[in-house]
Amino acid sequence: MTKPAFESLADVIADEAFPDLDLALRRGRHVDRDDGPWYALLSDGQAHLEVFYRRYGCELVYKSDGYYYLLPTANRLGRRHLSPAEMLVGQGLTLLYLDPSTVQTGGVVTREQLLAQLANVLGPEALVRSLNPKRRRYDERVAEETVRQKVAEAIRRLAALGFVEALEDGQLRLRPALLRFAEPVRHATAPDAALTRLIAAGELVLTDPDAAEGDPDDDASSLDPSDNDEAAADDDGAAEEGAAGAAEDDAPPTERDEDEAAREWDALGRAITTEEPP
Amino acid sequence: MSYKRRPLAAVSNDTSDPHRTLRALRERNVRLELETADLCFLAALHLKARDGQLSAFDEPALVEVFEQVVAAIEPPGSGQKRRPTAAIRRLREQRLLSRVDGAGVLRAGEYSLTRLASAIVEFFLEDESLTRESLTLLTRSLLGSLEPVLAAARGASTADDWSRTVSAPLRITIAELLSGIERRQRGFDLEQESLQRAISELITADWFGAIDRCQTMLEATSQTLRELNQVLLRDTHEIQSRLQEIHDLAADAHQEEAALVVRGTSDQIDRVVAWGSARQRAWSEYYQYVHRYLREVVRIDPTRMLVHRLREHLAGRAGRPYALAVAAAPSMQLLRPVELLGERPPVKRRRKPEEPEVVDVDAVDPERELERSVRSAVAEGADRLSTVTRHITAGLEPDQRFGSAGRVVQAVARVCRAEAGRERPWVAVDDGLLIEDWVSVRARESE
Repeated sequence: MTKPAFESLADVIADEAFPDLDLALRRGRHVDRDDGPWYALLSDGQAHLEVFYRRYGCELVYKSDGYYYLLPTANRLGRRHLSPAEMLVGQGLTLLYLDPSTVQTGGVVTREQLLAQLANVLGPEALVRSLNPKRRRYDERVAEETVRQKVAEAIRRLAALGFVEALEDGQLRLRPALLRFAEPVRHATAPDAALTRLIAAGELVLTDPDAAEGDPDDDASSLDPSDNDEAAADDDGAAEEGAAGAAEDDAPPTERDEDEAAREWDALGRAITTEEPP
Repeated sequence: MSYKRRPLAAVSNDTSDPHRTLRALRERNVRLELETADLCFLAALHLKARDGQLSAFDEPALVEVFEQVVAAIEPPGSGQKRRPTAAIRRLREQRLLSRVDGAGVLRAGEYSLTRLASAIVEFFLEDESLTRESLTLLTRSLLGSLEPVLAAARGASTADDWSRTVSAPLRITIAELLSGIERRQRGFDLEQESLQRAISELITADWFGAIDRCQTMLEATSQTLRELNQVLLRDTHEIQSRLQEIHDLAADAHQEEAALVVRGTSDQIDRVVAWGSARQRAWSEYYQYVHRYLREVVRIDPTRMLVHRLREHLAGRAGRPYALAVAAAPSMQLLRPVELLGERPPVKRRRKPEEPEVVDVDAVDPERELERSVRSAVAEGADRLSTVTRHITAGLEPDQRFGSAGRVVQAVARVCRAEAGRERPWVAVDDGLLIEDWVSVRARESE
């Protein structure tokens, strides 16, 4: 039996799945068919929810690849840009998603496959440098361990955003939202125009290679304040979620994040371009 | 040389406790080591026996088959020499070939493949996958075999009747048929795995051109799974209802053994049905994934340039780095309710613990104790220093005996009359202690 489309926004909001879905979308979650009731609710109530979220300065985006997400276009709702490590891992996972060999396993890959993919595309040396950008000298063993840790951390964050699903034994189920990482390079004819369009839509930002380098001791510069809040929310459980009073909503959440991301991006750009491709 | 081999059935008789079964297998050091040539040899024997209606092979026939196999699989001039004797011994040691004539040394033996060897060869040679036809045939045979069992259960009056006409057919005929279904299910699983590999290889090799063929393969398998599930649901329901009837009859007649066998059969059928629904679910996920992949990846990128461009970008060889934007609303904060702390108790000095009550304990003089032990040892018949020392140090830790031996000598000299020769022999008190012995130790007359 198919569920009838909602007649009004009130019907959508009254749906049992709405509170959890709303919170997830506001935290950057990408929702696809595997999310079952959430996806059905978004599909049925899309017209109402688009108008609803627009009032918060957000666009409810639907991609033909089969996923939804919330894109803040004004400062009313917090937003952040993915860190270099998250982008690196996300693009590596997208390559795996596009790879026909993963069809055999139904889109399930291991962390080792991901690391092998990244090492293959970037070269092992550039991969280590890109994830240890602030260290001029490093011990090989320690640096490789750092790479594994940063990749694991990036996977955890990407899983929270709905790009992958972490399964048992270090396996990952790749989800269609990964194709967002390939969006800027999808159009062969006019890549610059596509990039400009995506920047104008607020989908992404170009990272500035001339930005000043960050504090070398600050190893967690990709973290932004809202991430800490998010991590805290994960620990605190649902009790807090229902409570009123969002004190940080008034403060613009993006300024510091973008500065720090730019610094990391600068370091990453230098790490990759100085390395001769294999 | 004679030896005793543990019975083969020792492991299989009691498989209810998996730990015990595994321990038994470990104790028996069970293993199989087969090279391709060994498998080919077994396969050749299996085929020859089937084609020639042979129940056993004599030794010259085994050697002949082995040489034919070697000639067929070894490229000429490979230089590798394989000996039939070694191969036959290896197979016998692994219980793949058994001697069946029992003539011992009187004449050359006759050999046949064991159940294990036949199962291995059948796995590689025979295509035993589950199809709609084979499943229907098996479930119909099952139903047909259950009819006489049910009739027998209705008419059984004695325990012997129940055992002979109900339990035995359920244990053998019905269980064999169900095992046949389960074996074919495993064959179907293998087919699924190779189908998934084939689809992946097809897309890798032919990309856009593979779409139609992949879809055809997916549809065919979906159709097969659907049909299998339909047959399973329809027939197993009927089978279960008959088993239930037999179980009720057995319970009414207080035939515990028969009821147990029926329950075992019923569990086996549940497993067969569970397989069907699990595979249907897993296949459904895979089916959707591949369709999505074909629709969203292959069709949209027919020239596979997207992967190339993304790789170039990731490697920093093309384009400028970018970062995706995502919503990151901070979580709502809930202030903790104020907890009113009660009045703190004033800080006080810790009270000194009271002095423990004094208890009178009799003092023990170790020297007197030792002297008492020496006297009792002598009184019990120890008449040399070595025997007295052994008697007293026997209960001590090895590292304490050396020190105690000196104290024993002192005590013996004090409380006994001892005599020693000019040359005192070295005598072992125990494994780690040697002493110069005194030839005579007696209690003092005054004591």
